[in-house]
Amino acid sequence: MSSKRQSMMPPPPKPPTSLSSTITIAEHASLIGTHLIAIGSNTVVHPRSKLNSTYASITIGNNCIISERSQIGLQGEPEGEERDGILIENGVVVEVGAVVEARHIGEGCVVEVNARIGKGAVLGKHCKIGPLCEIADGEVVPNFTVVFGNGMRRVDRSGIEDLKLKMVRRQVEILRKLIPSKPDKFQ
Amino acid sequence: MSFTPYTYFQCPCTESNLPTRRLGENASTEEEESDQDDRTFDPRAPRANYSLYPLEYLLYCEDCHQIRCPRCVLDEIVTWYCPNCLFEVPSSTVKSEGNRCTRSCFQCPICIAPLSVSSTEAPPEGLGAEHATQNGPYVLNCAYCAWSSKEIGIQFDKPNGIFAQLSKIQNGGKPIVTPRERRKDREERTRDTSGSTMNEDGVVEDLPGIMNLDPHELLDAESQFSNLKAFYQSQLADSSPASALGFTGEYGYGSPGALSRIMGLYTGGSFAEKKAKSKKGAMREAQDALEGLQITSPASEEKAVNRLLSEGWESTASAVQKKEQSYNTHFVSDLRPIAHLLRTKRSKRCRTCRHILSKPESKVQTTRFRIRLVALNYIPSISIKPLQPATLGRETFLTPMKPTQFLLTFKNPLFDNVKVNIATPASTPGRFSSKVTILCPQFEVGANTDAWEEALREGGGKGTEREKKRTKAEASEGQNQAEAGKIWERGRNWVSVVVEVLPASLKIEGPEFMRSEELKKDDGPLREDEDVVEIPVFVRVEWEADVAHDDTAGLTATSRDKEAKEKRELAYWCVLGVGKIIQD
Repeated sequence: MSSKRQSMMPPPPKPPTSLSSTITIAEHASLIGTHLIAIGSNTVVHPRSKLNSTYASITIGNNCIISERSQIGLQGEPEGEERDGILIENGVVVEVGAVVEARHIGEGCVVEVNARIGKGAVLGKHCKIGPLCEIADGEVVPNFTVVFGNGMRRVDRSGIEDLKLKMVRRQVEILRKLIPSKPDKFQ
Repeated sequence: MSFTPYTYFQCPCTESNLPTRRLGENASTEEEESDQDDRTFDPRAPRANYSLYPLEYLLYCEDCHQIRCPRCVLDEIVTWYCPNCLFEVPSSTVKSEGNRCTRSCFQCPICIAPLSVSSTEAPPEGLGAEHATQNGPYVLNCAYCAWSSKEIGIQFDKPNGIFAQLSKIQNGGKPIVTPRERRKDREERTRDTSGSTMNEDGVVEDLPGIMNLDPHELLDAESQFSNLKAFYQSQLADSSPASALGFTGEYGYGSPGALSRIMGLYTGGSFAEKKAKSKKGAMREAQDALEGLQITSPASEEKAVNRLLSEGWESTASAVQKKEQSYNTHFVSDLRPIAHLLRTKRSKRCRTCRHILSKPESKVQTTRFRIRLVALNYIPSISIKPLQPATLGRETFLTPMKPTQFLLTFKNPLFDNVKVNIATPASTPGRFSSKVTILCPQFEVGANTDAWEEALREGGGKGTEREKKRTKAEASEGQNQAEAGKIWERGRNWVSVVVEVLPASLKIEGPEFMRSEELKKDDGPLREDEDVVEIPVFVRVEWEADVAHDDTAGLTATSRDKEAKEKRELAYWCVLGVGKIIQD
């Protein structure tokens, strides 16, 4: 039985954070970088999620769910001038393994498992990016769009957005009971 | 592109020499028959495609002692079931209702994901929220593309029996008159108007049970078909002559009236003809929508075009979406949920002896088989791997003119020892023929006994025995030299032998002596898959089996007179796909 080897690298920089008092953030969530990370009220950040503010700041709204292994934040050096940070609105669900480098994610969006959102992309309100789907860099996705399958898109006109937001809020309530929160580690 | 070596087995069903008698060619057919035995199997022949299967696809008939492939077995349906709700559908229901699920199993017309039924009411809050049932109007929802039946204007009153409710609503909420209702209405009309007179429009006074159907109604395809069919049947009934027994000619050839009718044709002569002509009325065509007539108006086309212009490309249904719909739909808002197709569980029979080879359990939830005679349990499986573990990058490619050695492992599934004989032509058939040498064409493979059984039989010396075997194997491996006539390695129920392949050069314009006969005749460019080395191997397996005893076995082992051992043999062709040759 070997003991864990300590890494020789210096520990990653701890970013300045502005965390609301009512968030649930797991101990093993990873927040690294140099820019500000702001997280709104009632949001749940799962363990092993990676919030990387090395290249730009991250702002997450209220009632969001950031799942395991998801990567929020610019992953590489942006071309051109200094980018605006990532802004994620209220009620957004980022599923397992998703990579979000977008500039703006509208309210109530759902980014499904292993989806990729490119740098500088803008997602409208209540969009649904299906599993393994990709949004190109800089792309603007209109409100209520559903991206699924092999690049297929359609506009969702079912009118049940409020219902969906309610369901997200319920999910947040349940997750708060399941995930022990340690915001002090990140203050 | 990487290449995985494969082994395909040939089913004997394609080899059967069905005697086709052609007049004046008796001599040649005999020649052909003897030729086939000598002729080696050519995996590149176009026909070979249809007879080669991986071992996992093949079944084995115990009575005929032959391999059976999916093409030569007879299928019989055991059960019909819906793959979504796993409900077993009796075959009588399938005959009457059709081959789709008639409960609540639907696929999204946009993305074919399964649809779920949910209430449009807001979810209940507070205590006991999970147990409260909701009875708002119900809709079908797609979890993948977020489509909902609200988008086509359809809502349901009950959460079950969606199929029946759906058949009564059109897109947009208006009710459909189902063909069944139309039929009832027609029956009512004919019963009622047999005495009374009818207006020309066909509109009758309001009587209970009769619907006020518009004679210029725009019918959907199903209703139009049922109306037309009923109309033509009535026309035929009116115009065709009644036979001697009073039945109309409609009943076909199977009825008792048919015989007398046919006899009447021969014996009646002119008398019957006159009778027939007098009775015959003129048949007419349909006059209105009630009878199935639909007049296309140019206005309907204009409507569709205008809609296309205003709504744009996104509103049209794609070809894949249209294919699943029963009616000709142009727009996405005309798409309807697709009922799931029922699936079957089938049992397979041998074509010659009608013995059941594979029979699944009729219960849908169990995936077991009652009878399962698969070839994997009867014939030795062959696996290929290169003798020298390949370096990265050049893994699956063969260099032309460089002898490469492959290890063939034969695994024996039977409980008896088998003797295996393998043979292959010296050069592979085809334009670019590689030279193949089998270093050990004859060997014996041990029985597939349990490891424990073998250990118990060995007794005390088991430890040393096994060790001895291992060191011997290691010794031969350590040499890294395959010797002709010797097997490479042996295990409890498997043996591996070495095959050496000299891949051909793929150059079409090469020196004359290097080119095969076929290449000289046909020097076109390299075709697809011609660079794959495929070796046809003829395998003959011999073993001694206990004679099958149908009566009580097991307990009466001691009372059996003799241990009758029957010598059995099985021979078949295989094709080994060994690797791809690099182009030089």
